[in-house]
Amino acid sequence: MLRKLLIGFWLLSLPGLAWADSQWVLEQGTLTYHVSHPLHQFDGVSRAAKGKGICHDGECNFLIAVPVKSFDSGDSNRDLHMLQVTRGAEFPIVSVRTRMPESDSTSATIHLDLEIQFAGQTVEYKQVPFQRSVQGNETRIMGTIPAKLSDFKIDPPTLLTVPIKNEIPVRVDLSWDPM
Amino acid sequence: MVVDVAHVKRTCFAGLAGAFLTVIFAPSLMGQAVGELTGTVTDPAGTPVALALVTATSMETGRARPAATDADGSYRFSLASGNYRIKFESRGYETLEIPAANVAALSTVVENCELAPVELAQSSTVAEPAQKTAAGSSNKPQEPSLEDLGITPSQAKGNAREQALLDRRAHMLKIHQRLGLITIAPLGATLVTSAFAGGRQTSRTSRDLHAALGTATVGMYFTTAYFAIRAPKIPGTKARGPIRLHKTLAWIHGPGMILTPILGEIAFAQKSRGERVHGIASAHGPVAIVTAGAFGLAVASVSFKF
Repeated sequence: MLRKLLIGFWLLSLPGLAWADSQWVLEQGTLTYHVSHPLHQFDGVSRAAKGKGICHDGECNFLIAVPVKSFDSGDSNRDLHMLQVTRGAEFPIVSVRTRMPESDSTSATIHLDLEIQFAGQTVEYKQVPFQRSVQGNETRIMGTIPAKLSDFKIDPPTLLTVPIKNEIPVRVDLSWDPM
Repeated sequence: MVVDVAHVKRTCFAGLAGAFLTVIFAPSLMGQAVGELTGTVTDPAGTPVALALVTATSMETGRARPAATDADGSYRFSLASGNYRIKFESRGYETLEIPAANVAALSTVVENCELAPVELAQSSTVAEPAQKTAAGSSNKPQEPSLEDLGITPSQAKGNAREQALLDRRAHMLKIHQRLGLITIAPLGATLVTSAFAGGRQTSRTSRDLHAALGTATVGMYFTTAYFAIRAPKIPGTKARGPIRLHKTLAWIHGPGMILTPILGEIAFAQKSRGERVHGIASAHGPVAIVTAGAFGLAVASVSFKF
């Protein structure tokens, strides 16, 4: 009798095991790059990120895109210089693609493989850690992408003939809502 | 009015020295002088191939510069003079490479390219990431695309001409920056020698030296200013941050650099006649100090974080 009940429950639960398709939309996103120079430390911030995630068959694919022009460091001259060295007019969009198992979307720390298209180059960063927190309906993802100028074949801009550091870590703060 | 021929000769010599310094420094500053590489990518029927990936790789440095063709199949690079290997790639076409193209400073090299179509199965995938970005497309329906984010293909498409404008602007401002820093040297020397040129016990030689250094400073200064004034403006850009102070200060040191030598010339003539510096000429020193101060602050405003 017990065996029959268990089999009955198992059969009833089968439809729930199949992953339902779902979508996520980026409600609010901030990307901040950090530049270091012996005379300067500055951040360039963009709040113009757009993003979408599609979950299908237990796997979620996310795409985040940001116009290169939208990064603001508080100095128009510096922003134009960054736009020039990063070939921002030729390649106006930075895009980040990642995929993860849908089951991972409940973990507090997630490690993502990122594919970043920027300055005409496509670069993959493996196992980048992100913190995940849930507030009501909203899922917030925060982390830092360890980007380097040389990864994207960008010559470091110089000030007073001294180049900036090759490392330009990009802080990511993204709030996702289910669609 | 008595014209001091010897002084005029010295001043001319100093002016020539300033110009000479500029000529000496200019080639090294413009060592990365740019030329243009342009052309059109078409298929065998002559139809332009849009969004083809063109990569110019410097044979000297190995640095690769990518660009996408416009709707009319055209591409354009602003490149430092040198030899380049050019690669043309587009989905559905065979990749074509031009082994060497020489780009000379201030000249335009035209390299047109005709791409032969291939079977889809054989098509090169090298250019795929860049083309994905440009076209904003995604092949798999379960993967979001740029269009899904509301980014149209025209928004994702690059503008080679705007990039060339940015390159030219950056190049000219780099020269502006270097010349500005070099100008600090004769400016400082002029200020130091002013102590020996303006007092009661001054010699003709010290005044001549001061005048020569001042003339060299003015020459260097206006050459520096030329590169800032002639640098292309980027439409739709509003000045923000320290660059506003940098530009505002130009309204002080610019007129100062005109006024200072005029007042200096009057003061020089008065001194040469054995008179004390008087009248408007007595403003030479204060005007020079304000000018030098504004110039120094302008340099510092874009060099240091306050």
